Amino acid sequence: MDNNTGKLRIALTKGRLEKDTVALLEKLGYDCTAVHEKGRRLILPVGDSIEVVLAKAADVITYVENGVCDLGVVGKDTIIEMNGKFFELVDLGFGRCRFALAGKKGGDFYSGTHVRTIATKYPNVARGFFEKKNMDVEIVKIEGSVELAPLLGLSHAIVDIVETGTTLKENGLEVYEYICPISARLIANMVSLKMRKAEIEELISGIEGVIGCQDKA
Amino acid sequence: MNRFDLITPEGTRDLLFEECAAVKAVENRLIQSFKAKGYSEVVTPGLEFYDVFDSKSRYFPQESMYKLVDNKSRLMVVRPDSTMPIARMTATRLREHSIPIRLCYAQSVFRNRPGMRGRRDEIRQTGIELIGVGTRRAELEMLGMALGVLSSFRTGGFRLELGHIGFFKALIAKTGFDSDTVETIRSLIEYKNYPALGDLLENAEDTPAVRALKQLPRLFGGEEVFDKAYKIAEGDDDAAAALDDLRQTYSRLVSMGSAGGITIDLGLVNRMDYYTGIVVKGYIEGCGDAVLSGGRYDRLLADFGLDVPATGFAVNTDSVARTEMKTNPVELETVQAVVYGEDGFETKAAAYADELIAKGMRAENGVFDTLDETLAYAKKKGLPVHVVSDSVRIIEN
Repeated sequence: MDNNTGKLRIALTKGRLEKDTVALLEKLGYDCTAVHEKGRRLILPVGDSIEVVLAKAADVITYVENGVCDLGVVGKDTIIEMNGKFFELVDLGFGRCRFALAGKKGGDFYSGTHVRTIATKYPNVARGFFEKKNMDVEIVKIEGSVELAPLLGLSHAIVDIVETGTTLKENGLEVYEYICPISARLIANMVSLKMRKAEIEELISGIEGVIGCQDKA
Repeated sequence: MNRFDLITPEGTRDLLFEECAAVKAVENRLIQSFKAKGYSEVVTPGLEFYDVFDSKSRYFPQESMYKLVDNKSRLMVVRPDSTMPIARMTATRLREHSIPIRLCYAQSVFRNRPGMRGRRDEIRQTGIELIGVGTRRAELEMLGMALGVLSSFRTGGFRLELGHIGFFKALIAKTGFDSDTVETIRSLIEYKNYPALGDLLENAEDTPAVRALKQLPRLFGGEEVFDKAYKIAEGDDDAAAALDDLRQTYSRLVSMGSAGGITIDLGLVNRMDYYTGIVVKGYIEGCGDAVLSGGRYDRLLADFGLDVPATGFAVNTDSVARTEMKTNPVELETVQAVVYGEDGFETKAAAYADELIAKGMRAENGVFDTLDETLAYAKKKGLPVHVVSDSVRIIEN
């Protein structure tokens, strides 16, 4: 909305996705020195034509949806949870993991007639998953380590992101069922893609080129 | 108990001074330009029966409407859209009216949206409906007006984007997908979700229609889109017919001028139950959402018992006003003088103020009892005071 610099503005999810995206941009020949030496700054130039904004995952979607950022890099987990209005253009291939239903090892989640309690950081994902199964569940939103909830007896199971499963194993939990795969996505504001088609398409075809090579390797 | 008597509900807002002036200015400009082309302004009720928006095609998801019940326990909604009430009104009160029927409106619509996302629940819209005649001329009148509207905004560049819902409908009809899958595919195309669309169609039978659907979200841009689209839809007569229709309208519109501002997106597949042909969106620089939206909806009036074609568009007045304000500060029509009548001369002062106003000035009446208070007040506002007694003297401040 207030993008007056003329640069393409990309919101990056802080942390691992940020590093992977910067590596990708560097492969495309963009100078990312400013991001490496960012200090506490949150808006940083990349090359001459791009400006990178560092934000929390859910905020990436909010900024792109409202058009203050043209593009964003955000995990599919946040996209499913937030469910907004934007174009979802590229599966970037990194940040791969899965949503899963998990609980105490050896537990039989589906037997019995009681209403299950599910602890999760992703209430919409959990609700959607059980709605498809026509199951009424009680959902408890947890902010930190969700694994604690079944261990402490607050919930029967959790819905969370699982990457290697090590955390689950070390806490005596196991995956009952995988819900869906997750990876980082390149999203675009619905007006930006139209108003700045050439620039964005050039960037995308560059990105797709790099990802294509990696897939083959 | 919490009381909410000092705040407005989420998604709504008070409009004061500059903001109010900016919105009204856009609204007035649009309505004047519509009236000049023979459109008559109408107002529909703020409340309608739920049934108006709950036809068999389910144009509006029920969770997006604000609902209440009337004194007979019938379900009502706060108007979520203006086109459907106008269709209802036309199909009943204007049934015998000679066609074409040209209507315009400026009123709010209300949508119940997820909160805290920087979006509005009350949206002021200004729009037109051209009802009863389905010719290309009628369509071009609507699109030409949309183009005129976009280029009249005091913002940077703009785009008028055309699509044709018939292209998608032709392709999807050749596949055997059930209605849920069709809706998933439609939504993936609308949001240009290339990866998910690719995955979903990967498992489907490899037919020309499925291959074409995979390409559909990428079919946007300038005139070159047509060549690609014809190639993709080769052998599909219905899809080709939709493309022919769109291309004819496109080239006629381009010949009317401002070719640079007109683009094509065959992936515009929003509200596919509602639109029947050309669909249109308008974008302006500096606004993250479409500011204009419309198209051809030839079956909507039939839902209300009058089977006639129609086209129209609506402009998001709020978004336009907000975007215009960023680069064009609004000048308020502030008052230029205070008129104060000495005791016994109040009537004369009022007449004198009317004289000033008749000359084109903006003058307000002094309501304080003493001259001192009036002067103190006028000084704060930087206004001259016209003191009326036997004569008039002007005290500059």
